[in-house]
Amino acid sequence: MRLLLMLRLRLRSLSQRARVERELEEELRFHFDRQVEKNRAAGMDLTEAQQAAAREFGHITQHKDECRDARKISILENLWEDSRYAVRNLRRDPFLAITATLTLAVCIGANTTVFSIANSILIRPLPYPGSDRIDWISERTGPAQQDVGAAPDYFLLRDRNRIFEEVATCDPATFTWTGIERPERLDVALASASFFPMMGVQPLLGRYLTTDEEGPKTPPVAVLSYEFWRNRFGGDRQIVGKTIAIDRLPRSIVGVMPQGFDFPRGAQLWLPNDVLDRASQSFPLSATQPIFTVSIIARRKPEVTPQQVTTEMQRLSFAIRAEYPKAFQKSGFRSDLMLGAMPLQEYLTGQLRPALLILAGTVTLVLLIACANLANLLLARASSRQRELAIRLALGSSRGRIIRQMLTESLVLAVPGGLAGFCLAWLSVRTLNAVKPAILVRYSAISMDWRVLAFTIALLAATSVLFGIIPAISAAGIQIHDALKSAGLAHSAGRAAAGMRKVLVAGELAVSLVLLIGAGLLTRSFLHLVHTELGFPSDHLLTLRINPVALSMGHDYLPFYSQVLDGVQHLPIVRAATLADDPPLSDNDFQSTGTIGVIGRPLAPQAERPRISDVVVSPEFFHTLGVSLQRGRIFDSHDFTGIPAAGRPEFLRTEAVMVNEAFVHRIFPNEDPLGQRLIFGPDEFNATWTIVGVVSDIRSTALGADPPANIYRCTCAGVPIYRRMAVLVRTSVPPEAAIRAIEQQVRAVDRDQPISDVKTMDQRRDAALAPERFQLILLGSFAVIAILLATAGVYGTMSYLVARRTREIGIRMAMGARPPDVLRMVLGETGVLVVAAIPAGLGSAWVLTRYIRSMLYGVSALDPTTLAITSVALAAMVFIASAGPAQRAVRVDPMTALREE
Amino acid sequence: MSKPSGLVQGTLDLLILKTLELQPMHGWAIAERIKQVSREVLQVQQGSLYPALHRLEQQAWIQAEWGESDNNRRAKYYSLTKAGRRQLARETDSWERLSSAISAIVRA
Repeated sequence: MRLLLMLRLRLRSLSQRARVERELEEELRFHFDRQVEKNRAAGMDLTEAQQAAAREFGHITQHKDECRDARKISILENLWEDSRYAVRNLRRDPFLAITATLTLAVCIGANTTVFSIANSILIRPLPYPGSDRIDWISERTGPAQQDVGAAPDYFLLRDRNRIFEEVATCDPATFTWTGIERPERLDVALASASFFPMMGVQPLLGRYLTTDEEGPKTPPVAVLSYEFWRNRFGGDRQIVGKTIAIDRLPRSIVGVMPQGFDFPRGAQLWLPNDVLDRASQSFPLSATQPIFTVSIIARRKPEVTPQQVTTEMQRLSFAIRAEYPKAFQKSGFRSDLMLGAMPLQEYLTGQLRPALLILAGTVTLVLLIACANLANLLLARASSRQRELAIRLALGSSRGRIIRQMLTESLVLAVPGGLAGFCLAWLSVRTLNAVKPAILVRYSAISMDWRVLAFTIALLAATSVLFGIIPAISAAGIQIHDALKSAGLAHSAGRAAAGMRKVLVAGELAVSLVLLIGAGLLTRSFLHLVHTELGFPSDHLLTLRINPVALSMGHDYLPFYSQVLDGVQHLPIVRAATLADDPPLSDNDFQSTGTIGVIGRPLAPQAERPRISDVVVSPEFFHTLGVSLQRGRIFDSHDFTGIPAAGRPEFLRTEAVMVNEAFVHRIFPNEDPLGQRLIFGPDEFNATWTIVGVVSDIRSTALGADPPANIYRCTCAGVPIYRRMAVLVRTSVPPEAAIRAIEQQVRAVDRDQPISDVKTMDQRRDAALAPERFQLILLGSFAVIAILLATAGVYGTMSYLVARRTREIGIRMAMGARPPDVLRMVLGETGVLVVAAIPAGLGSAWVLTRYIRSMLYGVSALDPTTLAITSVALAAMVFIASAGPAQRAVRVDPMTALREE
Repeated sequence: MSKPSGLVQGTLDLLILKTLELQPMHGWAIAERIKQVSREVLQVQQGSLYPALHRLEQQAWIQAEWGESDNNRRAKYYSLTKAGRRQLARETDSWERLSSAISAIVRA
């Protein structure tokens, strides 16, 4: 209580100075008047009474001063006075103030921006009640955690777990909004009935799914997202009960979720998961059966420890194997299946973490360089203020008091930069939200909150101490006697300060070199990527997807696609067209893979067989893309004739396939691959594939990845096509010009089928480079800022050193030193800086570049060329920066230099 | 007339706190009361009184409030806080020990 009262009074005396003064005046005036009254009562007349009172009262201003002193609060008052003093001082040195403000604005702005991103995405909890208890559960086979689980996992978890309150599934899918003029592709989530209660969010309008709305007999209902409802239905509050046709099925809208409910990200509506059926779901007994994957999320009961989660996941993993003995024992398929849980936020943001850490490291280094620069400027200033400080010391200021005052000055110096930095960060965050660079696309908008403000303030304080502490200590270390005695140049303190400045500049150079090396490595890696051959010409190539409206579960879409392809191929502007399950460089992470065995070789156990991705294409694929045939022939429909279209077995006993060179290199390095027969998947699958041709490699998955070993299977082989396919079209006109005609062809086959993900191959290539380009631009610009700051530091320090040695240079010249000797002397100092900085920088780079190794392609983290070029560039920058001071040294006129002192 | 500086150091604080123990008062009344009770022996000068009052207020031993004086003017009234009461007890105690020690020596 007493402390609170004291604090309030102190703040009041500080913040309401005028009022406190007025009250003091009034209080004393009252006393005086009472005295006058008393004197008059004792019989004096007015003047006499006033004079007597005044005599007794004494000097009123002095009393006031004493009262003020009594109120004085040493630290706060001192801070206030020091600040005012600092402001006055800085006004006299606008160059310093402007430099500090600009550098700190950029550096604090950059740090605050990066923190805002981290805060919005990594630190701030997801916007669902108790979101820290929501886990993402998925299967893992071997060490790698996969994205999803299977439907039986969900049922077992739901019914048998002991640690979750609620278990749910929610899977992103694309559906088509039909029954409108231009059918539209929608991002949909298929949710189990437990999904909404699990997330803990109530609907804005209507209701969410109920327990009977799951599985095959669910009524056709839909829940809308806030954005979809507001943008496409004008925020109609009477929406509940109306219908929307999704894939030609009219569904009644039962509810609208509130703003900010955005899971899975971008979902426009949620539908009950009608295939989530306990009875019909098991693990497939062979790889020929489709596996029904689901994304599983669950809410932990309160106070469940991570240890309990691990134990429970293990227990359930064994329970699943016991539950489905056939699936796991007979085929040996996924015999090492385990379930794993991780916090939902970690799952959603894991990919961004390393990129953000690198970014944070970079901006921190730039801030350190800026601090070193400012420390340097302050050191220079402190040496010109030695007399003032010495006088203060002589008059009785303690050294601690001087340090405090110098630190206050650096705080005052930093405040405008900090404010500007915060504004700059605000602008950058707005820009980032508007532009949505590649690495942030998957995440919600960045916002700034009190944490960001607190971060900026803390950073501001830390920064001002960081760049202020060395100059402050050095200022307090002045020897009074020396400083007052020697006119202007105090050598003892000056020499220490000069040494300190050299150390600081060398440090700056070393840190800049680290950043330069980082940027250099990224540049080389980026150039590699840019010049990477796709394996086919990317011009005049249009790619798009069709996500056909569901006809029925398990329906073969091949007839539909064949008609579409036929129509597109006959367009005059089309040179060739093909079907493929994915466009090259698509952002689809899911690759269909299986293990293979070679017939005629001893068969390894399932788990040890090579895993190969299988790609389904139509025979025109190779011709359309321009992938060259190396050996053999391209499969065509004749390979598959004689098989009745209806009732085709899902896999032929023997099927013609093609492979790429990477496959040959891996499986048949010394044999002729043509005519070799393979078995794919589990043994009881009992089908063999015959290799009929070998084609050249293409980079189908990522620019930075080596072409994967591929098996190409033909669409006409009776491979069932369940839903989504891509159409790749080689045009004779610019590809953008063909979009309308192609869309019309698709609509001519079925007017309810929209095309989506329409991009030219060049656009895909560009998009594939976007994350690397973004990283490079960021790191590159910070490296440029760093090197500019460091160069300025070198220039400042060299100028200072030359100025300090003007007299010495004058003497040397008078003694007969030639300009080249002087030049050698100055550049010698520069050389010392370079010699100190480069090994330190290389050493740090050796430690630090390993963190960007994962971002590098085709260049080692310790690439000697990069290290050499950046070191030479740094040295060159240093010498260029010292050219001016060196010239000044050479032009020193011995007579003037000697006369000056 | 003994000057306040002639008072033993810290005694003025004790006098003010003791005076305020009865009721809230403004500065002039405090000075008057000290003079009266000490039979004009102790005269507190304004130059000491007000800094002392402000210091005691900063220590949160007394608190100030503006009120009407008996002649209808605004005056700043000081009163003891809880902490002030405890402080008064401590200072009274130490004063008594000090003064009895001094008298013991003086009379010996």
